[in-house]
Amino acid sequence: MSPRTPDAPADPVEDYLDRLFVTLSGSPRQVRHTLAEVEAHLRDAVAEGVAAGMTEPEAQAQAVARMGPVQGVTGRRPALTRPSLALVRRLALTAALIGGAGFLAIGVAGVFARLLLTVKGNEFLTAPWPAGTYTRADCARWLAGNPGTHSCVTAMLADHVGDFLLQATAAGLLGLIALAAYLTLRQRWQDRGTLIALPAGTAEALGAALAALAAVVCLGQAVNTEMVQHGVGAGEAWSLGAAAVVAAVAFVLALRRALRRAAPA
Amino acid sequence: MRSERLKGHLDLLLLSVLSRGPGHGYEVITRLRDRSDGAFELPEGTVYPALHRLEEAGLLASAWDIVSGRRRRIYRLTLTGEEALAEQSQQWSEFSGSVARVLGTPAAVSPLRTALPGVTA
Repeated sequence: MSPRTPDAPADPVEDYLDRLFVTLSGSPRQVRHTLAEVEAHLRDAVAEGVAAGMTEPEAQAQAVARMGPVQGVTGRRPALTRPSLALVRRLALTAALIGGAGFLAIGVAGVFARLLLTVKGNEFLTAPWPAGTYTRADCARWLAGNPGTHSCVTAMLADHVGDFLLQATAAGLLGLIALAAYLTLRQRWQDRGTLIALPAGTAEALGAALAALAAVVCLGQAVNTEMVQHGVGAGEAWSLGAAAVVAAVAFVLALRRALRRAAPA
Repeated sequence: MRSERLKGHLDLLLLSVLSRGPGHGYEVITRLRDRSDGAFELPEGTVYPALHRLEEAGLLASAWDIVSGRRRRIYRLTLTGEEALAEQSQQWSEFSGSVARVLGTPAAVSPLRTALPGVTA
């Protein structure tokens, strides 16, 4: 199989062999042998087509069509085909990228929340629970945890704000770890099978869609809170929504770059 | 002929084709198509799992060789494969003859005969 850069024009035979490679299971020797057999078969069929008067692309397309789906070569039905190692790796990379970016976005939301706190105070970030939904024991715990406060409500707000900021910080750190793992694994898994196991830009497109959805939900909730509760408790939703917008924009930019890299010259 | 119907007889057809001499996958497909006058068209890739299965079963043996400038896996019939071919050919002959008698048609019209040298019905 001749090497092909991502910018090279489409070659149906090479693409078929790539699909077969990521679908085949078995020992490395079995995979190599089957690939070699099928490649020789396809090259023979192309040569026969060209000898019969076809153009090279026509002969390639006919050779691939006559070979049938790659599942025919593997001898398995598509639904029963075990995911190849390449596909598993690509899915792991996708999960690490989207998960990492998602957790990092929550961490960024924590930074936005700190900025909002300094401007608008605790009550803007999180709303106090309605009276009757908490006990004296809760109050005692909140007051003990926040000695600078002098009422149950202010202690509750300080406690909830502290929890949110702590959780956002933890999520942000988790996101950084996941993204570091993504970058490390992506560097290690540079084989072509892993690179083409999913269409170019799949992870970025999925991440952009999920981030956009999160942004719509969070910003919608923030607007609703502004209208119903006159802004009390809207800060969490605003900060999460803003971070989701940032994540969505970042994913869209990454998607454009991935598609440009994958496009034929 | 529909490839689903052909698959049930693929092992017998492959053994028969290779009984005429060793060959690589593309040759096997070409011989099968030529000897059936183009009647046996199936996705060519489906031949490989069948060849591998027959080799695992000991009916075929294979060796790598360079032919026409390309590295190819050449399959040949083993002694066990020859015995299996004779047995399966006999079974097919009996079956197709019975079907032909029921239908009232001569068994000689069976397109499989052209590809199966062992069929005598």
